[in-house]
Amino acid sequence: MSSLNELWDGNAPTIRGKTAIIGAGKSDVGRVPGKSVLALAAQAASAALSDAGIGRDAIDGVLASASFASPFHRFSVAFSEYFGLAPTFSNTLQVSGATAATMFNLAAAAISGGLARTILIVGSDSLYSGLTPDFALRAMSEGRDQQYEMPFGIPVANTFAMTAHRHMKEFGTTSEQLAKVAVIHREHARLTPGAQMTTPITVEDVLNSGWVTTPYHKLDCSLISDGAAAFVVTSADRAKAIGKSVPVYILGAGECYTHEHIFYMPSLTTTGAVQSSAGAYAMAKCSAPDIDVAGVYDCFTGTVIMILEDLGFCPKGEGGRFVDDGAITHGGAIPCNTHGGLLSFAHPGMPGSLFHFHEVVQQLRGCCGSRQVQGAELGLVHSLGAGFATNATTILGTEATL
Amino acid sequence: MKRIAPERSHEQPLPTPDADSQAYWQALRDGRLLLQHCAWCNNVQVYHQAICRKCGSTALEHRPASGYATVYSFSVVHRAPGPAFKEDAPYAVLLVELDEGPRMISSFVGGKPEDVAFGMRLRLVCDSVTEEISLPRFTPINVETGGQSRPREET
Repeated sequence: MSSLNELWDGNAPTIRGKTAIIGAGKSDVGRVPGKSVLALAAQAASAALSDAGIGRDAIDGVLASASFASPFHRFSVAFSEYFGLAPTFSNTLQVSGATAATMFNLAAAAISGGLARTILIVGSDSLYSGLTPDFALRAMSEGRDQQYEMPFGIPVANTFAMTAHRHMKEFGTTSEQLAKVAVIHREHARLTPGAQMTTPITVEDVLNSGWVTTPYHKLDCSLISDGAAAFVVTSADRAKAIGKSVPVYILGAGECYTHEHIFYMPSLTTTGAVQSSAGAYAMAKCSAPDIDVAGVYDCFTGTVIMILEDLGFCPKGEGGRFVDDGAITHGGAIPCNTHGGLLSFAHPGMPGSLFHFHEVVQQLRGCCGSRQVQGAELGLVHSLGAGFATNATTILGTEATL
Repeated sequence: MKRIAPERSHEQPLPTPDADSQAYWQALRDGRLLLQHCAWCNNVQVYHQAICRKCGSTALEHRPASGYATVYSFSVVHRAPGPAFKEDAPYAVLLVELDEGPRMISSFVGGKPEDVAFGMRLRLVCDSVTEEISLPRFTPINVETGGQSRPREET
């Protein structure tokens, strides 16, 4: 990716270190009956503002992910009304699972470019209680191609399953290695207060959990949850002036959209995460071995294995063995999803990857208690969606990394 | 965002042909799978659209595909995407590579879903699901009697 490196060399425009996350908050997550999508969003937003030590009046921008269970097309606008805000910068984003990282990337660019001073990022949904799992799966499929894909009964899971299947064929990745991803995530969730699933599981439990769509068993698949998360992002200067929390800086951003239909995915086993992370690394002036802690989108176990390779944490085809060797847990080369991820913490749809951000921010602040990655200074979050159609990477760092 | 009405959740989604895809769905009713061939750059594409995806030309010719394909990847669906497909499960969704090059999504008929394998040779079956719509599905071919098609190396 020499062209990307050239792009961010010298005096090229960059958002590196210009903005920082000064507040992070979560709603109740998991199965949360009796709370609307907007109420969950407001709960998370209040927590984020309180964490930042600022009031609503400090917010002049709102970015939100769209919601499946809430009917508002302009969710960011509906949320602003609900929460008592009248922002002068706002948008509702929808690039499936990648939306989380794109909100941080766009917030950093908007603040750097003068469109807003302090932006509230919020994502909320109620897939379990508001929609029920059946409707959630159908609603997610409704947005896929209705002529060339959906008539064949292709769930979102199926597109990911076909990539994992191909990865197994090309590189010898095994069902046991996929299962190990789920087991590690469950171990992580057990250390995380509020995680949806905390009963220990074994590789055998995953393999015996019944097929969803081959090669994925039930426990290879992420959860269906309710929940919200919110963040406050502001300029680096303002972060020190107004925030009470230790700022976590946005150092690099990259995105890549290689296809819409799975049959146009250039390769079933190499994703746009290669390009999105190359852009983010170049902008952040670091590379994969420098990263101390990561949030890696884990909608399915095989997704993690492919993305670990594409982010450069291990060579292509080695992801299964990398996981098997303990590389993605505490003490390993790159602890990932230390909160338990979409597989065991919670997966309320587009907000799901915001929990990866929440965890990486807390790790970089050094306040993760028993699950703290010691000395974590550089963090990466990779969000993706829609059968790898959408990929977005954000690199975060402490003041020491500036 | 779009939310389907509960009373429609048991209906299987059917394609609604648009200006780009009318000829494609019409031909399937007549038992042919049309591919778009670009007169400028020779690109062959499925998913009918007004311009060549490779060079942007509008000089696209419709030609019927041979109907032969190979399994590039697949997944057997046991947990259907909502109520509409529950009675069909388990069924195999295929990512096939047509002999002409392009890939497409389809589903497997004429055999057990668990028999599907990488590299399996297939031929087109136009499955008339309503008076207007025939879906392009694929069924195994016996290589020895596969007519003009030679067995191919696994891709």
